[in-house]
Amino acid sequence: MPRMPKRVKFRKEQRRARDRRATKGNYVAFGEYGLQALEGVWLTARQIEAGRIAAQHYLKRQGKVFIRVFPDKPVSKKPLEQRMGKGKAETEYWAARVKPGTVLYEIAGVNEDTAKRTMVRIAMKMPIRTRFIGRRLTV
Amino acid sequence: MQSTHTLAVKRREKNGTRYAKRDREAGRLPAVLYGHGRPPVSLTLDAKEAIRFFNQGEKVFNIELGEEGKTQTVLLKDIQFDYLGTNIIHVDLARVDLDEEVESHAHIHLVGEARGLKRANAILTHPTTSITIRCSVQNIPEEIRVNIADLDVGQQITAGDVVLPEGVELLSDPSDLIASINTQIEEVVEGEAAAVSAEESQPEVIKKKKDDEEGGD
Repeated sequence: MPRMPKRVKFRKEQRRARDRRATKGNYVAFGEYGLQALEGVWLTARQIEAGRIAAQHYLKRQGKVFIRVFPDKPVSKKPLEQRMGKGKAETEYWAARVKPGTVLYEIAGVNEDTAKRTMVRIAMKMPIRTRFIGRRLTV
Repeated sequence: MQSTHTLAVKRREKNGTRYAKRDREAGRLPAVLYGHGRPPVSLTLDAKEAIRFFNQGEKVFNIELGEEGKTQTVLLKDIQFDYLGTNIIHVDLARVDLDEEVESHAHIHLVGEARGLKRANAILTHPTTSITIRCSVQNIPEEIRVNIADLDVGQQITAGDVVLPEGVELLSDPSDLIASINTQIEEVVEGEAAAVSAEESQPEVIKKKKDDEEGGD
């Protein structure tokens, strides 16, 4: 089931700029390996769910997958052949704002080879370029 | 215990983003040296050499600064990465004495194959990869090895259970989870019909409670 917020303050939202780099959520924090976005995008709830299902099918019951992005942005779209005006349209889908560098998924409890193969399958469902990363060097 | 290597350093004459960028392009790594009540000094290190030592887990180095005279011991305090986390762009070094007590982080390395992992659906969770310790500079361990061979399903190792080398004091919360083995609960895959009905439903909009306010007045 695609994710969406349970409660919101406003039903509709403005678009806003989206060409900035990620300054948070840009490193592996919960698992051992991660899938990092190299481009910015509004990742739809369906795409996030498709990635999760792809990982679940490949992993069977091994490991644990963490989803690091949540679709909290309502995106509205006017119906086809609708004249312009008459106010903002209803919400069509929910999306997560992804910036270059954002970690989308993390995985724990499997070896590197399995994690890599899983991430390849998730990456196929993503509309952007991504890459496989491990944990960062810590001091 | 840390082996002390000597880092080649140069004082930075000009500070700022542009000059730091030029330094990086020239194979130098911008750094800052501070501590012991003396003013901070901007430096550059040889990037290739420094990053090789950092990747080996080295934290204590000797540096020779022309104007400050003799060789001094420094401790690696912080590393800054670029937005993708690929490249190290800056490091913080602190002036220390070898006998001085400092706070530092020690990397946890899990050793052995846990007994519980042989069971179906069991996974190893390793949420904390380093612990905070207090010890003298010369006793900072490169890593702390934790044996998980006897760990079974439902059991866990916390920071308090870790056997630390002599002279090393634990500063992390003793209840911090280092490793545990849990059984996965299978997720229920819901049908297509449920997904369609959920798509049609919309989240609840949080509204101000006007009636309550009016009633109060």
